[in-house]
Amino acid sequence: MIQLEPILKSLTAVEVEFVIIGGVAITAHGSAYLTQDLDFCYSRTNGNLEKIVTALSEFSPRFRGFPDNLPFVFDISTLRNGTNFTFRTNIGDVDLLGEVAGVGNYKDVFENSECKELFGFQVRVLTIEGLIRAKRAAGRTKDLLVLPELEALFEVLNDEED
Amino acid sequence: MKRTIEEKLLNPKPGSKAAAAREFGIDLTLLVENLRLTPDQRVRNLQQAMYGIEELLKSSKRKKAKNDTTRTNT
Repeated sequence: MIQLEPILKSLTAVEVEFVIIGGVAITAHGSAYLTQDLDFCYSRTNGNLEKIVTALSEFSPRFRGFPDNLPFVFDISTLRNGTNFTFRTNIGDVDLLGEVAGVGNYKDVFENSECKELFGFQVRVLTIEGLIRAKRAAGRTKDLLVLPELEALFEVLNDEED
Repeated sequence: MKRTIEEKLLNPKPGSKAAAAREFGIDLTLLVENLRLTPDQRVRNLQQAMYGIEELLKSSKRKKAKNDTTRTNT
């Protein structure tokens, strides 16, 4: 289970450019959905990759599912060599996405985000509309199951019922 | 008269997304409760739920290990 406060503190302390997506974003909008990890979309500029390494290194990230005895270095090269990552850290699971299906890259995701205060930190969170697009595009059963709730929230919050 | 968000969720109009969600099995009263909270409160509640689940899993593992040990010793 991810410990949200320390990771948000660390990410915001060095001003990582990120947008919270996935279950935590869904919850922030009012859904009763339960998640175990933190998913965020991040800017892939070199400066931001360096900030991510600075922010997350203290939590000893490793690729999720990799054997513990395999050597692994979490540095800027690791992040340059991929786009989307699933990490296990000593405070829980964190997924980093450079691109979000149905929405786009960090710039697109940022444009579909809004500022919210979580644990005292000002963070960007993908909008309900963005989440609906992402979940539709992901298309897995677990994504589709949350769609009716998100669509209901979008409808009532945007006065689209009448 | 314009209906409030809570009214729309508690008494959704036929054909609305809220009605579809309810038919799908979503408990809309949970949404009503959550919408009364700030995003910060919602995410803090989520964190507490995560810790609760983690504790439950740990407790279940401890119980299983204890049962396995008892079985081995008998």
